[in-house]
Amino acid sequence: MKDFSIVGQSVPRNDGRAKATGTAVYTDDIKLPGMLHGKILRSPFPHARILHIDTTRAAALPGVKCVIVGEDTPKIKYGNWRLFPDTQDEYPLAIDKVRFIGDEVAAVAAVDADTAEEALGLIKVDYEELPGVFDIDSSIKEGAPVLHDYCPSNISVNRKIHYGDIDKAFAESDYVREDIFTVHAVSPAYLEPCAAVAQCDLDGRITLWTSTQVPYIIQCLLASTMNMRENDIRVIKPFVGGGFGGKMELRTWEFCAAFIAKKTGRPVKFTLTREEEFLAGRRRHGMKLYSKVGFKKDGTLTGKDLKIYLDGGGYNAMGPTATFLCGTFGAMLYRYPNYRFLGQHVYTNKPPASAMRGFGAPQSLFATETQMNIAAEELGIDPIELRIKNAQVTGDKIPDVATISSCGFIEALQKAAEMSGWKEKRRSPKPGQGIGIGCYSFISGGVFNWFNTQYPFSAAEVRVFTDGTAHLLTMAADIGQGCDTVLKQILAEELGLKMEDIRITSADTAVTPQADLGAWGSRLTMMNGNAVVQAAKKIKAKLFGAVSAKQNLNVIHELDCKDGKVFPKGRPERGISFGDAVALVQKANRGEPIVERGYYTPRDKGLVTPAFSFGAQIAEVDVDPDTGFVKVKKFWTAHDCGTVINQMAVEGQLEGSIQMGLGYALSEQFVMQGGKTLNPNFLDYKMPNAMDVPPSEVAHIHTYEPEGPMGAKEAGEGLAIPTAPAIAAAVHHATGYRCKDLPITPEKILAGKRQ
Amino acid sequence: MRLSHFDYHAPETVAQAIALMQAKPGARLMAGGTDLLIKMRHAGLKLQDVISVKSIKGLNTITVDENKGLSIGATALLADVALHPDILKYYPTVAQAARGTANAQVRNMGTVIGNLCNASPAADNAPTLLAMNAEVEIHGPGGQRRMPLEQFFKGPGITALQPAEIVTAVHAPKLAPHTGTAYISLSARGQLDCTAVGVAAMIVLKGKACEEVRIFISSCGPTPVRALKTEAIARGKELTEAVIEQAGNQAAGEVKPIADVRASAGYREKMVAVLTRRVLSQAYTRASE
Repeated sequence: MKDFSIVGQSVPRNDGRAKATGTAVYTDDIKLPGMLHGKILRSPFPHARILHIDTTRAAALPGVKCVIVGEDTPKIKYGNWRLFPDTQDEYPLAIDKVRFIGDEVAAVAAVDADTAEEALGLIKVDYEELPGVFDIDSSIKEGAPVLHDYCPSNISVNRKIHYGDIDKAFAESDYVREDIFTVHAVSPAYLEPCAAVAQCDLDGRITLWTSTQVPYIIQCLLASTMNMRENDIRVIKPFVGGGFGGKMELRTWEFCAAFIAKKTGRPVKFTLTREEEFLAGRRRHGMKLYSKVGFKKDGTLTGKDLKIYLDGGGYNAMGPTATFLCGTFGAMLYRYPNYRFLGQHVYTNKPPASAMRGFGAPQSLFATETQMNIAAEELGIDPIELRIKNAQVTGDKIPDVATISSCGFIEALQKAAEMSGWKEKRRSPKPGQGIGIGCYSFISGGVFNWFNTQYPFSAAEVRVFTDGTAHLLTMAADIGQGCDTVLKQILAEELGLKMEDIRITSADTAVTPQADLGAWGSRLTMMNGNAVVQAAKKIKAKLFGAVSAKQNLNVIHELDCKDGKVFPKGRPERGISFGDAVALVQKANRGEPIVERGYYTPRDKGLVTPAFSFGAQIAEVDVDPDTGFVKVKKFWTAHDCGTVINQMAVEGQLEGSIQMGLGYALSEQFVMQGGKTLNPNFLDYKMPNAMDVPPSEVAHIHTYEPEGPMGAKEAGEGLAIPTAPAIAAAVHHATGYRCKDLPITPEKILAGKRQ
Repeated sequence: MRLSHFDYHAPETVAQAIALMQAKPGARLMAGGTDLLIKMRHAGLKLQDVISVKSIKGLNTITVDENKGLSIGATALLADVALHPDILKYYPTVAQAARGTANAQVRNMGTVIGNLCNASPAADNAPTLLAMNAEVEIHGPGGQRRMPLEQFFKGPGITALQPAEIVTAVHAPKLAPHTGTAYISLSARGQLDCTAVGVAAMIVLKGKACEEVRIFISSCGPTPVRALKTEAIARGKELTEAVIEQAGNQAAGEVKPIADVRASAGYREKMVAVLTRRVLSQAYTRASE
């Protein structure tokens, strides 16, 4: 462990006070003079051809200023996988067909939201209903209704991974286990529904304030769909109330706000309702997973053959990345000498699934971890021992992926077992009680560049001033996960300043340096942190040069920044204040201010991610034998996120991930009938609340990630993975019911428990 | 959904409220608004007039009288009922049902009477009051009357109220010595949720035998359902495990639940048996204390 001043502390978040006092300005809080309010007309049918749209009555309603349909737009498709234009399958407003209930058909802007909503009822759309497909198996059947003409099989993405000789591996195994798992869709259910405000200036340039995780991607895709130049679009991210992957693409309302603002010359705001979010919002992929694993008698893994179908809904959204990552994560955590993966992304007439916390890994690893628990039982080996035997370690090479440069997985397994009293509780559980384990590995940002950016993946600009302060500019998007705070901490640490010495401006594409791929895949601490460190090091080089010259130091002296001073390490008493050092540099350059930029793009780090995090979680449950209700009594988590930059923030992430994992495991699901979501509200979409969340204990396993800023890597997203398999294993321990079909409901437990 | 334009009336007496309801036949009464406003905003209920009863003085009274029993006024909040010291002492199941209704914010606005008048089959406050043989006090153009709560529910969202009538209070009788009550509800989310199935029971003991048993089941029919045959099994008997088991099975047979987003019909039926066993055993224990 290195000796840090601010890194590793529990530093209160940058945005905490503003949010707690209600002064934080979210997109929906923005009010501009003359602003119009927009609403979206959505398809009532899961699959239908649009024959004709008549907007005359809506346009004639007093107060309505603009009505647009797909035909009014430039008709350019978008999608985040720009490198593969075939995957870009979505128009901002439907052109010929609608593909799910809630698909966007028209937009209205009026003087107030109620008038806009009333106008929606006056738009007449003639549809020709088409047969729909609502699950994977029906969609891939021969002769199934086709959603997109370009894709007659309904399978829009195929991803294959293959190394070793899988057939030979199974032939030489002592024990081979084959299971089919299904996992369901859930909602990111961020607290702030999506919203966007657009304004067009007299030169035709657009400013868009939007609740997004990816300002730069929105800028680029909005430009291309509007047929404009990128630099004529400015995207600003105000405070954002969570995203969890659901806000990482250009969306209809962002386009419509900009398009109508340009058309009418008036600012336009769209804010979605919670019902719209539940009915039509992005979801985590439901999947069907066919998994076959082989072991030697002693528990050594021989290989794995994994086939996953993703229930993609009507459009690709971020499905291609999820297809990619669920295959990568099928081979993580353990050493699989032989591995074969086939992932297929399947269109269905349901709301598009997309990225959501874990991005394919929670599904894939639910299967892995459950199968590991089954195998442990059948091989007669303790589930933790079996994991330790096969666990990945630092230096392991995963073919075509990466070399793991830091890994505290075994230590995490051992620590979780110790904290929870695993051995004793596992051996002699109390009646109705059980204990189970689930583990995870996750990426620290992606190496893949399917967005095809021409810029570095992350950038930071640092300006320093003679008053001893600094200004950090970055396009990184703080969406509540806390990157503004973490990046300030990293800069403060590097420059030897205090948190309050640093001003941050973030996520404004016209002001902050190009570029940043956004807040997803747990990339910001790693990638933007590295950019910040690089910029800070350039600043330090200038300051050290000037101080060295001023003090006539021997060239062998090393200098440092700490406690607001710049000083020779060997002669700390000769230090001068940070501000005075800045003044020296400025004087030497005839007043020119000090501004430096740092960049980070992962290179020579394989094809997936520069660094992997690891962890283990143990759940203890109490199951009511008569009602089948599960009460999780406690969680114990041991995780390796490299250097912990901010204790409080990491623990907050852990608490949030447990809440999310609890819902995924036990209570959250979309009740669907014929493509319609029947529970579009928090009353019937059963997200756990604070009272449902059990106590938990956490241990940080200390590793140092050489690729990360100050040794840090991913924290918090991967933690969404282990909770469901851990609960499932504990429920099995308590009742004998083995869940291979999430969620774990009381009914399934009653039907499947030991008699 | 767009909230339609409506006039908001705030009468200060019950008589004024009745007169307003007569003058505005389409009007709806509102106390906390925690059900009505949801229906207006999300279920397309369009009203010309909303009459708040919150300004009527004295309607929020809660009294526990040694002889007359419990009386909860129309605007008494769920939160007040949940925490009322005398209710907690003498009618703990009434307090428990109020405390189990929705969440803290709703309990701070919503009322027990509103929960009854909304006439949801899932209403948390109905089964216990029904089991205790409560009565509603009704004021209307024809004067004042009392009606057993058992006759009050006619279907989902439908009550026995005549036009321009208002429920001003609910009264639960003084409980006989050796009376025990219990209410258990289940829902998919642990702590704070809408009831997917619930059962309440009241038992009056004479010696070790049940002199009187009343059992009501919620969320398993268009209104809370009384399990008459189940009561008959337990009545006059000591509640042995065998009797309780038999009663549970009978109760499950007395309901015809539907499947909806909250639970399947089969699960509801099974849970009626489980909950009936549990409330009978709890109420029996409490009555014996």
